[in-house]
Amino acid sequence: MRAQSSLLLAVAFALGLIGPASAGASEPPGLWTGPMHGEIPATLAGAKVVDAAAVAELKDGGAVLIDVAEFPAKPAGVSSNLPWMPTHMSIPGAVWFAGGGFGDGRPAYQQAFSARVGELTGGDKDRAVVAFCHPGCWGSWNAGKRLVMLGYRKVYWFPGGVEAWEDKYAAAPVKPDRGWEEIRR
Amino acid sequence: MKTRLATAIFGLCALGFAAAPALADDPDSPEARQSRWQELEKAVFQGKTAGPSNGVVTLQAPERAEDAALVPMTVTLTPADKVKALWLIIDDNPMPVAAHMVFGPAADPHELKFRVRVNAYTNVHAVAQLQDGSLVADAKFVKASGGCSAPMGEGEEAALKGLGEMRLKLAGAAQPGVPVEAKLMVRHPNFNGMQMNQLTRMYTPARYIDKISVSDGAAKVFDLESGISLASNPVLSFGLVPQASGRLRVEVSDSMNTQWSRDFEILHMTD
Repeated sequence: MRAQSSLLLAVAFALGLIGPASAGASEPPGLWTGPMHGEIPATLAGAKVVDAAAVAELKDGGAVLIDVAEFPAKPAGVSSNLPWMPTHMSIPGAVWFAGGGFGDGRPAYQQAFSARVGELTGGDKDRAVVAFCHPGCWGSWNAGKRLVMLGYRKVYWFPGGVEAWEDKYAAAPVKPDRGWEEIRR
Repeated sequence: MKTRLATAIFGLCALGFAAAPALADDPDSPEARQSRWQELEKAVFQGKTAGPSNGVVTLQAPERAEDAALVPMTVTLTPADKVKALWLIIDDNPMPVAAHMVFGPAADPHELKFRVRVNAYTNVHAVAQLQDGSLVADAKFVKASGGCSAPMGEGEEAALKGLGEMRLKLAGAAQPGVPVEAKLMVRHPNFNGMQMNQLTRMYTPARYIDKISVSDGAAKVFDLESGISLASNPVLSFGLVPQASGRLRVEVSDSMNTQWSRDFEILHMTD
């Protein structure tokens, strides 16, 4: 039995199903301004890391869900005069701040984020807020960090993002949040 | 499932959001689907709207596709006059126009068969342009998802073998002036840029057929313009009226500007 499970483990490791035990980058002191995709930390100080099931519960409890995935751009090599009109799938009811996870220090961008989250939470710093995008994406980490820095006390970071959600639940197409689009202009 | 990761990874898109129409409350509602279609009509037909099909154009598509990367669709056309052009549009695919065909004098556009990729539960529209320029459409709702990110089982290198090879089959012996059904097969992986190589975890760059042109001697059968929604190794069935020349020329080009052509002596073809 033991030999069998260690063999399974070895196979899983070889297949890349299991990463090294101490996976993840260490937390930067502030917002991350490096490449947006890659190794991300396993934690976020001041926020709770959650999985899809926990997000489902938070959603039912009225949490504000913020998706900061970037707007889907044409894949490399696609050039055609036919229209490119991607649909963005997300957690039903989520608010999509397209490109809202950059560690951009510009005051206008920070104010836009702060203002729109303020509207969505009704200014309640104890309202639960969940930040997510896609796996291996720094955007949601940054969004969570920003929320902590803004003084939100119930910040949840969902690193598994839309993909982890879709593994368990249905996703739905969402449009970019108009409030966010208007404020950040 | 990983489609969204694929589409999201490439940075901000140049497309503005200004065109987004008012949101229906439920993004998956018929109203939301209708508003998506209106956006598409604007983008594809410059605001012209397609009327009801009135039996002129009929789309057959599976209600639930077994393989989202290879969904068969058949368009039947029964117009009083030959249609000028046809669009097959998969509303919720990132590049919704799967095929745009413009027919020539040697076409017999009564039945067209495609194999396409479907990325998410979506409406599919077949739109025909009639001789007076007006548009008529038929739509079907198709349940399938993940067709755009499905990797090819055989791997990239194998998928690129024999790139551009073509085969043509006729439903019967070709005779000048007598319409006949033809089936064209082109070997091409039609990489759409959203498929991940399972070993390297890198996205295979897009490379897909963007034009297919078929002529019989000097007479055009059709010009087809396509995006990333045709399935790999595209198969296309169409009707043609063989001309006296007996030589059917098929020209194919892909998004990397590679071109292939082949002549088929259709009056002397044996199965």
